[in-house]
Amino acid sequence: MIRLQNIEKVYRTDTVETLALNSISLDIAKGEFLSIMGPSGCGKSTLLNIIGLLDIPTKGEIKIDEQKTDSLSDKQLANFRNKKLGFIFQSYHLINDLKVLDNVELPLLYRESSAKERKDLASEALGKVGLSNRVKHFPTQLSGGQKQRVAIARAIVGRPEIILADEPTGNLDSTMGNEVMDILLNLNKSDGTTIVMVTHDENMAKKTHRLVRLFDGSQVQ
Amino acid sequence: MFKHLLTLIWNKKKQNLLMIAEVLISFLVIFALSTLIVFYYLNYRKPLGLEYENVWVVSYSNPLKTENGDSLKLFYKDLLNTVEALPQVKKTGFCSNNIPFYQNTWSGSLKGNGKEINNVDNYWVDENYQDVLHVKLISGRWFTKDDVLAKQKPILINQKLEKELFGKQSALGKLVDEGNRKIIGVVEDVKAKGDYSTPKVSMYMKVDTGSWHFIQRLLVKVSPNADAAFEGRLYKTIAGMMKNSNLEIEHLVDKRKSINYFSLVPMIVSLIVAVFLIINVALGLFGVLWYNINKRRGEIGLRRAIGATGKSVSSQLVSESMILATLSLVIGTFFAIQFPLLDVFDLPKEVYLIALVLSILFIYLLVFICSLYPGKQAAAIYPAVALHEE
Ligand SMILES: Nc1ncnc2c1ncn2[C@@H]1O[C@H](COP(=O)(O)OP(=O)(O)OP(=O)(O)O)[C@@H](O)[C@H]1O
Ligand SMILES: [Mg+2]
Repeated sequence: MIRLQNIEKVYRTDTVETLALNSISLDIAKGEFLSIMGPSGCGKSTLLNIIGLLDIPTKGEIKIDEQKTDSLSDKQLANFRNKKLGFIFQSYHLINDLKVLDNVELPLLYRESSAKERKDLASEALGKVGLSNRVKHFPTQLSGGQKQRVAIARAIVGRPEIILADEPTGNLDSTMGNEVMDILLNLNKSDGTTIVMVTHDENMAKKTHRLVRLFDGSQVQ
Repeated sequence: MFKHLLTLIWNKKKQNLLMIAEVLISFLVIFALSTLIVFYYLNYRKPLGLEYENVWVVSYSNPLKTENGDSLKLFYKDLLNTVEALPQVKKTGFCSNNIPFYQNTWSGSLKGNGKEINNVDNYWVDENYQDVLHVKLISGRWFTKDDVLAKQKPILINQKLEKELFGKQSALGKLVDEGNRKIIGVVEDVKAKGDYSTPKVSMYMKVDTGSWHFIQRLLVKVSPNADAAFEGRLYKTIAGMMKNSNLEIEHLVDKRKSINYFSLVPMIVSLIVAVFLIINVALGLFGVLWYNINKRRGEIGLRRAIGATGKSVSSQLVSESMILATLSLVIGTFFAIQFPLLDVFDLPKEVYLIALVLSILFIYLLVFICSLYPGKQAAAIYPAVALHEE
């Protein structure tokens, strides 16, 4: 359902040019659970951003459901991210001025939904990540692991077809990490959600269907 | 979305206080200024109440060494006839020195209908005054020569005084001043202190034998082509009759200009001050919004990532500003309406009301304009970049 062809990403600053991704081609099938590994700075987050259409590759092409994506309008892109994608960011990106429940409701605000629907869906998502007792807290009042789980709840609340998770277990202890992994595995199995996950943990990667290794922007496996 | 924004604003009340205070203060300044402007404008829209073109004012000091009213009267009658005989003169009339557009005032109180009205402008005029200045008669009649014979001294009052004394009733024929004076006519209000002033309650009394010793002004209505040469001739004619008098001829056109200028100065000064203040406030607002948006790049990136379009991000930021402005305006309006409620400055209520509406619109416009550009910038933030920075 997602096809990357010869993706190249170059970051240019005034002084340096970084080749973050070098000729990456990748096919991700519907319902697949893919993990990406590689050393820090090898381009994993960049790749995830490009898959999620948050960033534009310098070269190459992304097709989603056989459709080219380079000519999508701002509105179409927003709609795609809202309906089809769930992002779990490496650094959570919660809004500190909103309570946990409001943070989780956020993606639903950008589609047609009633206040009650939003509340119900958000509560349900928070239940899945085991945070039902923290809905009225602000993110600053939560531990790192709890924030991570709020971010997961926000990613799954809109029932997306694809979840892009950037080290979702990176900040969790092994028990917590396994719980989060189970949530993702369950989403993949029962709902058929396509998941692309960046991880540093070989054990986690083993539980997924396929592993892609990056090194210095190039695909090595 | 609206409720979401309210929640967001409420949760950030501390940070938002600065902006609310800033908008509140600028609102109050704008309100004060627009009250002044509206007041002046509404006054300006009202008729002047007289015709001042081609009216010259001759000021003289009393040349005769007599207090005898009859001989004074004879002398001035002679003077008036001589001046009126000049070719360019249409009409002349004597009056007290509180001529419209002059700074002089002469006021007293008037009792009538069981009331006493203070601060009534007293104008001493003769029967020609009307033909010179064309004060508009609303009802009744102007003075005539025969008025000296009347038992009760005839007076005219203006509409404002009629309303204060008698309400909706007509004042015509009513006795005032404990039965000593009779109202024979009502005239239109005159904006005696210039185009931007409000008319005061006024009464007109006829110059009589007893008043000649303090009458030192002669109004001369001349034809439109009367020039400086004629003014010289007029001066010489009068000077010839009043040997020891200090003579001065002024034009009502000029007096009107200068008194208008006089009342405009405070307005222009406050306008300049206000413009600087508004620029300051606008820059401040702009700065606060700009700062907020830069502080919220991560949030903006996130919203884009979960499905906000650039447009909805910018309209969110503009809406937030507008909601904050509304909060300030609610507080500001509470303060502003105290002025008409407590009648602080004795201005008509409609002045405050119009000023209030104008200031609210102005503030909304200001906040809207100031948030437009930062909002647009926010929409242009690239999601991946904003998220990366956090
Ligand atoms: N916005 C940017 N501007 C310039 N360079 C960037 C930008 N984003 C990433 N890079 C560079 O691109 C390379 C890949 O970055 P990326 O964040 O994808 O690494 P990563 O594999 O996710 O690392 P980590 O495991 O530490 O999260 C790095 O060298 C990084 O410095
Ligand atoms: Mg990364």
